[in-house]
Amino acid sequence: MADTTARAAGKAPTAAHVRHGEHVDTIESVDAVFREQRKLSFTYGAIFFAVTLAIPAASVWWEDWYAKPIWGGFTANYLFVSLIYYVFLWVMAWTYSKQADKLDEKLAHMAEEIAAQSQGGEEA
Amino acid sequence: MNTLAIVLVIALILFTIALSIFSRRFTRTTADFYLAGRKVGSFSNASAISGDYLSAASFLGVAGAVYASGLDGVWYAAGFAGGFMVVVLFIASALRRFGEYTVADFAYGRFGSDRIRLVTVLAVLLTSLFYMAPQMFGAGTTWQVLVGKGIFGMEPYTSGVVVIAAIMAFYVGVGGMKGTTLNQIFQFWWLWFAMFLVVAFAFGNGFSYPKALADASKEPIVDTKALTVAELTTPNPATGKTPLEAAKTVMTPEEYAKVEEFVAAKSEGKIPVALPAKNKLHELRAMLFREPGHRYNKFDQFSMVLALVLGTAGLPHILNRYYTNPSGSAARRSTFWVLVFIGTFYIMAPIAGLAGLGFIKEHLANGGTIAAANVHGHLVKPDQVMPTLGNLLGGQALLGVVSAGAFAAMFSTIGGLLIASASAVGHDVYEKYINPNASETKRVLVGRVAVLLFAGLALLIGLAIPKFGLDQAYPALIAMMVTWAFSVGASAFVPMLLTGIWWKGTTERGATAGIFVGLGSSILFIFLNILQTLGKIPKEGVVGFLGSLTFPVLFTFPLSLLTIIVVSKLDGQLPKNVDEIWMRIHGTAHERHERDLGLDKVGGLLGTKSH
Repeated sequence: MADTTARAAGKAPTAAHVRHGEHVDTIESVDAVFREQRKLSFTYGAIFFAVTLAIPAASVWWEDWYAKPIWGGFTANYLFVSLIYYVFLWVMAWTYSKQADKLDEKLAHMAEEIAAQSQGGEEA
Repeated sequence: MNTLAIVLVIALILFTIALSIFSRRFTRTTADFYLAGRKVGSFSNASAISGDYLSAASFLGVAGAVYASGLDGVWYAAGFAGGFMVVVLFIASALRRFGEYTVADFAYGRFGSDRIRLVTVLAVLLTSLFYMAPQMFGAGTTWQVLVGKGIFGMEPYTSGVVVIAAIMAFYVGVGGMKGTTLNQIFQFWWLWFAMFLVVAFAFGNGFSYPKALADASKEPIVDTKALTVAELTTPNPATGKTPLEAAKTVMTPEEYAKVEEFVAAKSEGKIPVALPAKNKLHELRAMLFREPGHRYNKFDQFSMVLALVLGTAGLPHILNRYYTNPSGSAARRSTFWVLVFIGTFYIMAPIAGLAGLGFIKEHLANGGTIAAANVHGHLVKPDQVMPTLGNLLGGQALLGVVSAGAFAAMFSTIGGLLIASASAVGHDVYEKYINPNASETKRVLVGRVAVLLFAGLALLIGLAIPKFGLDQAYPALIAMMVTWAFSVGASAFVPMLLTGIWWKGTTERGATAGIFVGLGSSILFIFLNILQTLGKIPKEGVVGFLGSLTFPVLFTFPLSLLTIIVVSKLDGQLPKNVDEIWMRIHGTAHERHERDLGLDKVGGLLGTKSH
């Protein structure tokens, strides 16, 4: 919840924005980063669902995948579902979290710049 | 009597109660009671989420499913873990940034109507009750195996349900979210350690993963069932063969002679038999342990995976946990650690199932005996593989650790569900509509009364399950019921959350209609499936097809999503302050402000003691 809106802080909002203490989010900066966030999340999401649904697809149609032993009793299918899939999840979650953190930083810088420009304009 | 094992379980229960009483001194406000003061760090929160998530279905059910079905059982583990990717990618940080108490708060804040808040409350309560049912059933059946006797004149199953409901009502009501969080952290690590010990003992006794898998796949999988004389002699309409004839193709002459004798004497009760398993996916192939097809046909291979990965993001007790993070970034980090914690657990659970298959068979072949019912070297109830293997590899001490782990799994999940249900009634209804001016003390009191009410409801559900014959109708009831809860959550909440977070054009009418359609259709399909399994409705026609959908989410999730999109497009009435809402979900000014003030720091979980 916003501590104060721009209106409450006595500033005439030129566009929708939210202020918390010294920090401001504008709809333009949030929208810009949202688009990048959406691209990031949906790209990772597409990879996740493609891999996750490829496993049952291969289980249905690719005999070498589900029936041919490759290490002791392990088939590629069993090895992937019981071990490798988790490594895939860990790598995806870790890299996604790091990239999402970077995006947050980008939003922060963008918002600070917009706030500074707004203050500069008022002083002038 | 498993004295040492029972002592360990009692010690766990006493510790749990002591932890709740201890944390009571630190629960003063509703934020403390429902959210543990929003100061739970990533590691602690990840442990608590993992404890919340890993229920009896994960601890007993996954190993049991692998023991019985091989690769199709392993999918339960992978699907349960994979669900958290949907949470981290699409929901975790946005939900936390929105900064409320519950999922219903999110719906209200995002769409701005009392109607959607109340519809969401209804969906939270129904999903929680669906998830509560397998936990209570697990409580009753674990008591049957471990204690084997009733108390105060009750049956063993009833005793288990009553005792667990009473303990849960006490410790959640007293400790609130802080007590529950502390307990869940402890309970998660206990059950992780229990699983680790079982697997370590297996490797210590010569278990080799690739070799055991090869050995298990030398012969086709065998199904085990306990059947009456009537069931044994009734021909299967599809094959024309009776189960008695089918059993002859699998069982040894000595084993089969006992079954024949049982039938000839027209004995009462049931006798365990081994039956050949059919490959439902590749019908011409033998059903080997390492291959898919024991549980799922082509359609279910996909729908089961989707039900599990989408369902996690629709469990209210898991979503509520994301509000306890100090920031959106911390919410993502928590989810990563959850994936590490539960991932390692789910890697071990199938190993335990496979190890159980080899060790129990070898033990019985060498003339050994076990307490659990068995036939042809296999357990009749696969869900008993964990305690049986524990007893076999580490005696009563390991059996005790495993049994305490099973109770820990149930406690931690029921605790989360009770908090989610109590917050839906206490916070979303009482504080908002009945008495908005209530004092903090009164609000916390209402939360505690709500916990008692839901523990009572859980008790009734637990007692009702055997009365309706569900335990006889479904061979792996715990896993089945958990999947139902996943289906309801995935259909009711996930489309609303995804569109609410990622599509600005979602309207209140669209979201409300989507929740209704998802909730109603998933519950309808589940009840049709139950009625069909109980033989109350036919297997033919449209109703027959709908009733045959084991995992309705493949239909109900897209149906709900489509409803939201179509109704929102037709409606077009966006909230007036949609830009402000959007900035609240995706902006970070609030977090940066909190960082300036040092409010983003993780506090001690216990915070300040009340005086």
